[in-house]
Amino acid sequence: MSLKKDIKLHSLSVSLVVSVMTILLLSIFLNFSLVSDSLGVQILSLNADETATANAVTSVVTYFRGFDTLGEVTILFLSIFGIGLGLDGYREKLNIFAFENQLIKIAVDILFPLIILFGFYIIIHGHLSPGGGFQGGVVIASGFLLMFLAKNDDFSLNHKIISIAEALSGAGFILLGLLGLLLADRFLGNFLPLGSIGSLFSGGVIPLIYIFVGIKVSAEITALIEYFIRIKDV
Amino acid sequence: MFDSFNQTPFLHTAITIGSFLILAIGLVGALTKKNLFKIFISFAIAETALFIYFIGMHFEVGKVAPILTDKVTQFSTNMVDPVPQAMILTTIVIAIAVLALSLSFIINYFKLTNNMEVDKMDELGEDR
Repeated sequence: MSLKKDIKLHSLSVSLVVSVMTILLLSIFLNFSLVSDSLGVQILSLNADETATANAVTSVVTYFRGFDTLGEVTILFLSIFGIGLGLDGYREKLNIFAFENQLIKIAVDILFPLIILFGFYIIIHGHLSPGGGFQGGVVIASGFLLMFLAKNDDFSLNHKIISIAEALSGAGFILLGLLGLLLADRFLGNFLPLGSIGSLFSGGVIPLIYIFVGIKVSAEITALIEYFIRIKDV
Repeated sequence: MFDSFNQTPFLHTAITIGSFLILAIGLVGALTKKNLFKIFISFAIAETALFIYFIGMHFEVGKVAPILTDKVTQFSTNMVDPVPQAMILTTIVIAIAVLALSLSFIINYFKLTNNMEVDKMDELGEDR
């Protein structure tokens, strides 16, 4: 028997096994049904009294599972830190999207403040409407991406300001958690007055946590964009 | 005519089969492509199947988003489960972080060896 036939038989049997397993798995997944008394139902019934946020997803992310969000932000920070260590010497490199376009150059002066303002709006209203720290942070980083595209090599970030913003927001997140541990019942517990549902000043510590997360994510994604956009050798 | 399509079991079946197809597209891309960038982008496509499955399976026809508005003024059982959405938000951020880190590893690998093909990798001393 030649080698070619062996490989064909092998791949044929593998694809047969994979398709049988896929069909079995699909028959399990297609019998999926939602339970009526899940964790989410209990969180929804708690949400009006305990957190007073209009957006239940936000209260899950920052209050009921706030510790997970801290770990998630830490993972994002460590990944960006590793990228910065690996792509060393990016400051002498050139922008790979360097092109001359007068239209973008004039428009960016008008658009950039509006994009930053919109990003902060999404961060601050994270407990009232769809949005929040991660989404608004990425919107702010997209404003900086527009600056990189428009002013290619004339624009570079001030890394001192970015690292200070990132460090202070991370420290503020942990400080809020420790204050919750001291003044309230648990880490990231609520120690501020709740306010009424639907107003801007409501939800206790949840808007503050999301503002810190938003600043941290925007600084990290902006640094990430600069690492990836300056990789062309001079 | 469209009422029979706008039912929860039909939507769940469509979401399950569709997300399996996206997963298959991503896995086939990861297994057959030779370029390192294409392999990792294929993994990112396969991850989106998970996001669609999780969010879609916890939707039922007639339920609303778990956000209070002018019309929906009270949290009730007529709302979608918020826990999967929060978990998928976490997963998306971690997926971005892992994808960015792996792409930077690929850039560094290309700078060191001037090679981006999986078949031509021989840094560990294998015979080809």
